[in-house]
Amino acid sequence: MNRLTLTDVSLKVWAVIVFVFLFAPIAVIIIYSFNEGRLLVAWDEFGFGSFAAIVTKPAITDAVLVSIQTGFIAALIATALGTMAGVALARRAGKWAPAFLILLVLVTVTPEIVDAVSLLPWMVFLGQDVGLSMFDNGIVRLVVGHSLFATAVVAYIVRSRLVGIDESLEEAAADLYAPPFKRFTQITLPLVMPAVLAGGLLSFTLSLDNTIVSAFVQVSGSTPWPVYVLSAVRTGLRPEIAAVSTIMLLLTLLALGLVAYVLRRAGDSATDIAKTVGGG
Amino acid sequence: MSHEQPIRILASTSATKIMKSELNRRRFLALSGAAASAAALAACSTDSDTGSATQATGGDLESSLSVYSWGDYDDPDLVSEFTDELGPTVTFDAFNSNEELISKLVAARGTSGYDIVVPTGPFIPQMIENGLLSKLNLDLIPNIADMDPDFLGRDWDPNNEYSICKAWGTTGFVYDKTKITRELTNWSDFIDAAQNEASGKTSVLDDPAPLLGIYYWANGIDWNTTDEADLAAAEEFLTTQLAPHISAFDSYPGGAAIPQAQHMLMQSWNGDARIGIMESEDPDRWQWVLGSPDTELWMDNWAIAEGAPNPEAAHAFINYVLTPEASLRELDYIGYHTGGTGIEDTARAEGLEMLDLVFFDEEQISTMHTQAIGDAQQRIVEIWDKTKASAGA
Amino acid sequence: MTTTVEGRTAPPRKAPSKRPRWLKLPSFALAIPAWAWLFAFFVAPVALVVWFSFGYKPGIFGTHANDVLSFDRYAEALSPTFFTTFQNTLWVGVVGTLICLAISIPFAYWLAFKAPIARRGILLAMVMIPFWTNFLVRTIGWQIILAPSGILSEALQSIGMLNEPLEILYTRTAVLIGVVYNYLPLMILPMFVAFDRVSLPMREASKDLGAGRWSTFMNVTLPLAKPGIVVGILLVYIPLMGDYITATVLGGAKGNMAGQMVANQFQTAQNWALGSAMAVVLVLTILTTVGIAALVAWLAAWPLRANQRLVLGDKS
Repeated sequence: MNRLTLTDVSLKVWAVIVFVFLFAPIAVIIIYSFNEGRLLVAWDEFGFGSFAAIVTKPAITDAVLVSIQTGFIAALIATALGTMAGVALARRAGKWAPAFLILLVLVTVTPEIVDAVSLLPWMVFLGQDVGLSMFDNGIVRLVVGHSLFATAVVAYIVRSRLVGIDESLEEAAADLYAPPFKRFTQITLPLVMPAVLAGGLLSFTLSLDNTIVSAFVQVSGSTPWPVYVLSAVRTGLRPEIAAVSTIMLLLTLLALGLVAYVLRRAGDSATDIAKTVGGG
Repeated sequence: MSHEQPIRILASTSATKIMKSELNRRRFLALSGAAASAAALAACSTDSDTGSATQATGGDLESSLSVYSWGDYDDPDLVSEFTDELGPTVTFDAFNSNEELISKLVAARGTSGYDIVVPTGPFIPQMIENGLLSKLNLDLIPNIADMDPDFLGRDWDPNNEYSICKAWGTTGFVYDKTKITRELTNWSDFIDAAQNEASGKTSVLDDPAPLLGIYYWANGIDWNTTDEADLAAAEEFLTTQLAPHISAFDSYPGGAAIPQAQHMLMQSWNGDARIGIMESEDPDRWQWVLGSPDTELWMDNWAIAEGAPNPEAAHAFINYVLTPEASLRELDYIGYHTGGTGIEDTARAEGLEMLDLVFFDEEQISTMHTQAIGDAQQRIVEIWDKTKASAGA
Repeated sequence: MTTTVEGRTAPPRKAPSKRPRWLKLPSFALAIPAWAWLFAFFVAPVALVVWFSFGYKPGIFGTHANDVLSFDRYAEALSPTFFTTFQNTLWVGVVGTLICLAISIPFAYWLAFKAPIARRGILLAMVMIPFWTNFLVRTIGWQIILAPSGILSEALQSIGMLNEPLEILYTRTAVLIGVVYNYLPLMILPMFVAFDRVSLPMREASKDLGAGRWSTFMNVTLPLAKPGIVVGILLVYIPLMGDYITATVLGGAKGNMAGQMVANQFQTAQNWALGSAMAVVLVLTILTTVGIAALVAWLAAWPLRANQRLVLGDKS
């Protein structure tokens, strides 16, 4: 078994090539974030000017903050809605379940651009004609737009996790006359926690990268980071954008390390978490 | 004093343009009336024909300001100095076309949250008609005195009630002298090179009007023609003769395409070409050609959106950027003439680079034409759309 | 799409012998919030877009009107010029997904069976890392690499593999590199999970029965991993069909996708009626192609299933 065959060697070479492919542009961006030139793509000389420039450009930090804020709220909403829906699908599936699953599938297969063009007039209608002024708020619009796909994804992940777990614990609790809410928070929720965390993380990641829906529904003063980058792409990217990306990459790695650490203490290995995410 | 010379040229055509825009305005009213009755959502408000009165009275400045403008169109250092000196923090959002700006303002019906917007001149009358802009309080913008009168009182807003010139420029192209060895001087040369040595290495502006302009200007047809025969000919030419040779629709080749030498031949606005050539490792490689025999003259303008939440700060900002010193810094950053009095002399005295791409002489300006927004607008956008689809095939 | 965490594989679910009292709540109660949310912000707005698609654009400033209903916008959306764009989008979508598949199968197989067990978690996380950099920034990274005076071009020229600058930016190839790059992790992840679930005993049983590596892979591993592969294909294909930003940044004019056309109608042309019709056509294209692919896969699986029975007998 341990003998290295030609297949094993070529598989390994292939894996190395794939990793190089995956990291090549990231490495380029990290290197170019130290570009002192005016334009990101035109290398001038090495320096830290771009990192200093971030501080003087409130638009950049504002955009990143809008994205993080939106990501958190959207992930919270999607996780809450998706978890409940996933639990219902796994544990209490009735005649309604197929129709609901079709809705989730439709949400999943609809390309982002279609969500974007349909949400824009809808938000304006809700805000202006129905008079729900909260829909004129940029963060609200972004959160709603980002939560749709994420809700469906969390529901899938939570459902698949629960389907694989025996129901006896919950039934035992019921037999012991634990009230429904307590049963949910003390038995079911801890059981699905890895899936909930994985779903939340995925929702946050998706929100952070959402460009198309954001570009359509955003309003003044709440430009999220990807939309800022998109409009900067047209006029020529500055090295600051690479600098922000480098910092954000470091921060996300840190955050992920933290999450992995917390989860490992909770008894799940990093592979399990990644697998739970992948299960969606 | 070459900056005074444009007066005569610009004024001589203004009378006909006023008539033209007057016509457009009426036509437009009729159209928008029909639209409003039919459209349930996002209908344009036709009740305010003339826009509303100014909202600023010279009170305290608000703490923030929101500007909706073209991408990277103001010197960030200047903006942060404004914040340091006067208080309001400024947020910028970018749009990519006047159409996008208008659709956003129409859809939001006065609640877009934007204070300052920067539309191009010919679009302003319609924006006023539709109540998208609010009147300026010129008492709060005393620095308008530093503006060259040549660039005030243009036909789209004769008394500067709604708008003040922010920058103006023109359209031409840039080519790579190491790849295209012959000399290109006009739009016909542009087309010929695009179809031959620069085939598949040619970019054009991602903007409907200048795209059609390539054909019209090369063939001596009025850029603002509404004749369906002209439009059909332009469509035929662009979708079948030019589209197969286009490698990109890029409104800002100076941002990356010129410094990286991504294409051989690029239609470009003058200021953007200047930035691109200056950023290039080998500036001598590039040749800028002003569009000829005819080309475009566009002028972007400071204006305040209807329902602006921070009108005092908006007026203060416009006033701030109109000072000669601020104006020069803006010119240096964006590479376009800002319309400030005597700015050409100051810029030359300061030794700014490549000013032949910023300032133009009387003869050159006489070949530049302002766009008129008329009945053909929808058709023009459609042709642009089809050209993009054909180029992708 | 079910997920089972290692070591926690559940025993077969027993049939509920009794209905606990708490199940007497309406069974869909917990799904109501999600249902309501998706109805308010997905079903209603999309229905509105479908409604717009039967209308028309009433004038320069009007975006849509529905007083006269017709299928004219659909005819317009499918007119030869725009139809070409749908064809291109489909081509990029299908070829891009196939390339992702070709890259992912050996890679996910290696990760699930060959990579050192202790490092699998880290390696899997590394696949996801590019995802945490803004996708546009990543795409710009590729632009820097692929430009005629860029890194790759100069490297290839210096080692003599190229005599002149690389002419790859603004071609279909660049579009494919960009989309494959951006969606690859979405393919690898579910595929890894699927392979990982194919237990070693199953594969060894196959070998004990005399099947070779290749035969084991084709007849045991691949069929068992099918659900994960299907998820991967859908996760790549669907967003890829709607994406237009990656394609435009790297492909320029050659990267004109259907999503771009829809966006143009809403943002520049202000023709919401035509844009809506194009959006509906796009969704229908995706649903139809997925349906056809499912049908083809189902039909193609017949001989495979028969083959499998033949090789493994009643072992499976």
